[in-house]
Amino acid sequence: MSYHLATQQNVINWIRGLASENPVYFPEKYGHASYRFAKVEADSEIQFEHYTPTVLPPVKLLIPAREELLSFRKHSDGKTEINPTLDESFRVIAGVRPCDLKGIFLIDLFLKEGVADAHYLARRENTALIGWACTAPCDSRVFCAAVDSLHHSEGADVFITPLKNGDVLLEIKTRLGEKLAAGTDWQPCDDGPAKKVGVVASMQEPFGRTFPVGVQDIFKKVAKNWKSPIWDKHVERCFSCGTCNLVCPTCYCFDVNDDMNLDVTSGNRTRTWDACMLPHFAVVGGGHNFRPDPAARQRHRVKRKFEYLPEKFGHGAVCVGCGRCGRQCTAKIDIYDIILDLINEGERS
Amino acid sequence: MKPKVAFFDFASCEGCQLAILNCEDILLDILNLVNLVEFREAISEKAPRYDIAFVEGSIHRDEDIERLQNLRSRTTVLVALGACACNGCVQARSNFVAPAVNYEAVYGEDARNRVQVDADFWSLWSHTRVRPLDAVVKVDAYLRGCPVVPAEFLHLVKSMLRGTTPYFPPDAVCVECKKNGNECVLERGETCMGPITWGGCNSICVNNGYVCDGCRGTLPHANIQSHITLMREHNIKDEDIRSRYRLFLGAEPIGRGV
Repeated sequence: MSYHLATQQNVINWIRGLASENPVYFPEKYGHASYRFAKVEADSEIQFEHYTPTVLPPVKLLIPAREELLSFRKHSDGKTEINPTLDESFRVIAGVRPCDLKGIFLIDLFLKEGVADAHYLARRENTALIGWACTAPCDSRVFCAAVDSLHHSEGADVFITPLKNGDVLLEIKTRLGEKLAAGTDWQPCDDGPAKKVGVVASMQEPFGRTFPVGVQDIFKKVAKNWKSPIWDKHVERCFSCGTCNLVCPTCYCFDVNDDMNLDVTSGNRTRTWDACMLPHFAVVGGGHNFRPDPAARQRHRVKRKFEYLPEKFGHGAVCVGCGRCGRQCTAKIDIYDIILDLINEGERS
Repeated sequence: MKPKVAFFDFASCEGCQLAILNCEDILLDILNLVNLVEFREAISEKAPRYDIAFVEGSIHRDEDIERLQNLRSRTTVLVALGACACNGCVQARSNFVAPAVNYEAVYGEDARNRVQVDADFWSLWSHTRVRPLDAVVKVDAYLRGCPVVPAEFLHLVKSMLRGTTPYFPPDAVCVECKKNGNECVLERGETCMGPITWGGCNSICVNNGYVCDGCRGTLPHANIQSHITLMREHNIKDEDIRSRYRLFLGAEPIGRGV
């Protein structure tokens, strides 16, 4: 763990250098007004400060939309050969904002719990994260400060904080971070923590959208609302399209399928993203659907973020306040509004 | 025994059968596993009974109904092939226009006058209602889209060869759009049928810069009222919304409603 000072240009050159040796992903502008994590090429534009949350969060680079888990083949002697598919290639994801670092930190917890997810961990353990502190809200929809993810830096190998004078403070947080920083001419900095405190103190207040109560009180409110008209109110316009789940940095649900080849003796097992807002998500063998109506699915989604998983893992809200779900919802449903309604709602059982 | 497979078409462009013939890299492997007994686009043989019949096209005339019912009685599995067979497709737009107006537009004024007075043409009046296959007979599986998606065709064939039920998730196009990391069409200031349309197309139109026109049909759980609100919020006039819904879905409730 060490602190350094450098110019922004110096850091950008460093990232370009890394990209010449390894795949480096960095937010890239595309389409009308969107950003995505894309592989840095020689002509890629790299700028840290001005980008809204990417359409998909960076954690999705570690859990691809479609992924082969294993391949299988039945031999003529009756024996079946099974080969797991693990991606152990090295990659760097740079320009990761605190909310998304918190997302990856939480997914690490979820997928290491119980039977660890070998496919995720193979990628995760071969991924370096370069974080970038936010000093101003990146989008009008964010509420990261309200759910305590604004200052999250755990999980980053190198964490960068922009300073008032235009230079940056680099915090090398892991051995991998040290390795990546080898050969740079950054100036050592003795008062790194104090400089960080200074940056935080000068940040605008309130930062993004806020709630009238703290996270612990939100948990209590959400836990006490099972039967509430609020669940119905916020699904009146819902298309059950799953977008809110699919763009969420803490959603990780998937569906597994076996795809046979035409020879009917070999094939592969793949997984694809699933989403608890989709109508058939909770259908079980025999055809029963535990959550047939959108209100029940919305309640489940909100309770996963603000009740079930916070209770199970004890690392605060499992919503990081990035605002992606609200921004990308075609029906204009925003989890922020739902939480605000729940806070203002009288208690029901 | 290899299953007997046949292809038939009603009112359609036969593009879905071509889409299947275009699966060149796997077509020969499939043909090793099935016995293709009727396929006007590719072979001239005929057969009395089929295990799987793929039927393309929409139903317009009384004689189409009889032919489809006859087909149904001779096949174990009937698969609706493509948008015409599944939801009526673009030709269902004609359901909303008086036949005489259509005749005049296509064949001129003389033809319009003749069909109205000459009894030999009166059977053509039944030409007025375009229907998907399942308005006439039971359909066992749907391969949606204009044209069909080769990957879905392959999934269906493999499932049938294995004796399992093919599964086409009732997910909106939005699901695949997100999986592909696309910027939402609404973010571009345009409107889209994606939120209420059956996915499975891998959001191919949006991937290529266009919007979803809803060719794969309306989802069973589609929130149509919400979609109308969304279109109106984008300042789209009601008549344009109607036209949009009738582009591919004239034979579905959404095309008739609004």
